[in-house]
Amino acid sequence: MSALTSVWKKEFRDAIRDKRSVLAAMSYAFFGPLLMAVAFFFLITQLTDKADVEITIKGQENAPQLVEFLNEQGVVAKQDDWAKTQTPIVLTLPEKWQESVSKAEPVEVILRADWSAQKQQTDIKRVEQAIQAYSSQISAYRLTLRGVDPRVVQPIQLQKQDLATRGSKAALIMGSVLVFIILSVFWSGMNVAIDISAGERERNSLEFLLSQPLSTWDIVTGKALTATTFSLFGAILSLVLIPIIFAYVPLHEIGMNVNFSVGMMVLMFILLVPLALFATALQLFVSFRAKNFKEAQTYISFLLIIPMAASFGVEFARLKNPILYYLPLTGQHQAFLSLIRGENVNVMGTVISAVATLAAALLLMKYIARMLKSEKIVFGL
Amino acid sequence: MINVDALTKTFKNVQALDSLSFQAKDGEITGLLGPNGAGKTTCLRIIYGLLQADTGKAEIEGVDANQNPIGARRNLGIFPDKFGLYERLTVREQVAYFAGLHGLKSTEQRQAVEKVIETLDIKELADRRTAGFSQGQRMKVALAQALVHSPKHLILDEPSRGLDVMSTRILRDVLREQRAQGTCILFSSHVMQEVAALCDRVVVMAKGKVAAEGTPQELCDMTGEQQLEDAFVKIIGTDEGIAA
Repeated sequence: MSALTSVWKKEFRDAIRDKRSVLAAMSYAFFGPLLMAVAFFFLITQLTDKADVEITIKGQENAPQLVEFLNEQGVVAKQDDWAKTQTPIVLTLPEKWQESVSKAEPVEVILRADWSAQKQQTDIKRVEQAIQAYSSQISAYRLTLRGVDPRVVQPIQLQKQDLATRGSKAALIMGSVLVFIILSVFWSGMNVAIDISAGERERNSLEFLLSQPLSTWDIVTGKALTATTFSLFGAILSLVLIPIIFAYVPLHEIGMNVNFSVGMMVLMFILLVPLALFATALQLFVSFRAKNFKEAQTYISFLLIIPMAASFGVEFARLKNPILYYLPLTGQHQAFLSLIRGENVNVMGTVISAVATLAAALLLMKYIARMLKSEKIVFGL
Repeated sequence: MINVDALTKTFKNVQALDSLSFQAKDGEITGLLGPNGAGKTTCLRIIYGLLQADTGKAEIEGVDANQNPIGARRNLGIFPDKFGLYERLTVREQVAYFAGLHGLKSTEQRQAVEKVIETLDIKELADRRTAGFSQGQRMKVALAQALVHSPKHLILDEPSRGLDVMSTRILRDVLREQRAQGTCILFSSHVMQEVAALCDRVVVMAKGKVAAEGTPQELCDMTGEQQLEDAFVKIIGTDEGIAA
């Protein structure tokens, strides 16, 4: 036990003096949320943009009233040319507009656009809606003129009641923030984990350390706890910074309401503890096999794809499988999702996944301890 | 006492040690002399339990290094083949770390660290971080790490490589001092003068076997040469004649 604490203390002191490690632990937690906040900021301004829609209107002189109506609805004729990268949205009004309207015949108005263009979708929709609205207006006039209550042609009135609570809308966007928090335990301790394993080998001090009278388990545990400390430090930093930074993002403008309570953050942190140990154990496992720092870095960047793929995959594929509650990584992710949606957390699943994560971490550490007794691994024989 | 008994070790197709046997006694400096690739480092790594012998055993004070490596290492001070220092720690912190790994705590630890710093005369280095140290300074730190827990056995793997005259002299003085305190010292080298100047007994190794054993004088007498170097060449060159 005392050997373990000796290793932990020494490694921690060593790591905290390594500017690269400290900076790596902090920068992810610091710049990540900031970057995400900026991205959301632009997303929101785009979503809530109420500027006029500019389209090409051919045959304006044929239907001045419609053009005026469109202008009132914020759909105006484009003055300049279309950019080469955009498909023009063209509305063509026929010459016999006046004639057809006065005879109460249907008028064919052509809207030419690319409905698959993501960016233009809201624009197109607004044009469609404006024309629909004008069309209902005319029919209402006609019916009234003929002494008919316009309501007879509206037998069904569809009332849309959006059941998405403010919180659950938020969950959609916050999902990616959650992935970010989970990944923070993988990122923040990474540099330390590499430095105390592959770095120790590269600096030629591994052989001497292994010749000391302590078990390899003590060495591995001491080192793992050091890297875990850094990884949890990064987690705390992102947990604290995310609510602060997101307070400045106008989420309420798109009907979102994000509430990070202190209790929730503490719970999230507790859930991250076993995950941090697991992340560290994985990283130590890989980098103890590498010959030097650089090699370890290369392997670990591949390793990082696993948690990223797992959490983003679940997030965006909207996977719903009960097993996800019980596995390491996905279990924490599901619990976070429930927390942020304000739903009840699957307590059993969360506890089981925490225990599974811890068990996996300890098993991996046991294996590393055995690995360090192997001449093949230690001396590369 | 260190007792090496019929050690055999094979790496893939290379026979590194071929039933190697010798003893290093307390209060004596035993030199393990051999050309590059004779198996010196392999032998020492088996003694401190980093490598497993195929057959045979290495015992430190009766403790088998392969069966109970941690127990064996408690009695060992090691100056390894590769001694990387922790460049972000000061000498004092570094030496204290290894004292701690040997189970020395608080006051006891501080005193041990103070003592070894004094013995090696590295007071002015003690609170500096080791980044940028010269080879001689690094050797002293490595030596301090090996000696801090006052081991009864000291094993050094080519300690004098890369050292200037002054540093070599300091090293010799330290080893003689340790010998006077009854420490069992085993060190490997391929430098003749060093072995001749220091060792009470020399074990000449070639191809993983003991080629000859004795005091430097005995080796010279055995081969009929005046200089240990000539004796060494003769022993290595006419392997079979000596062994018989």
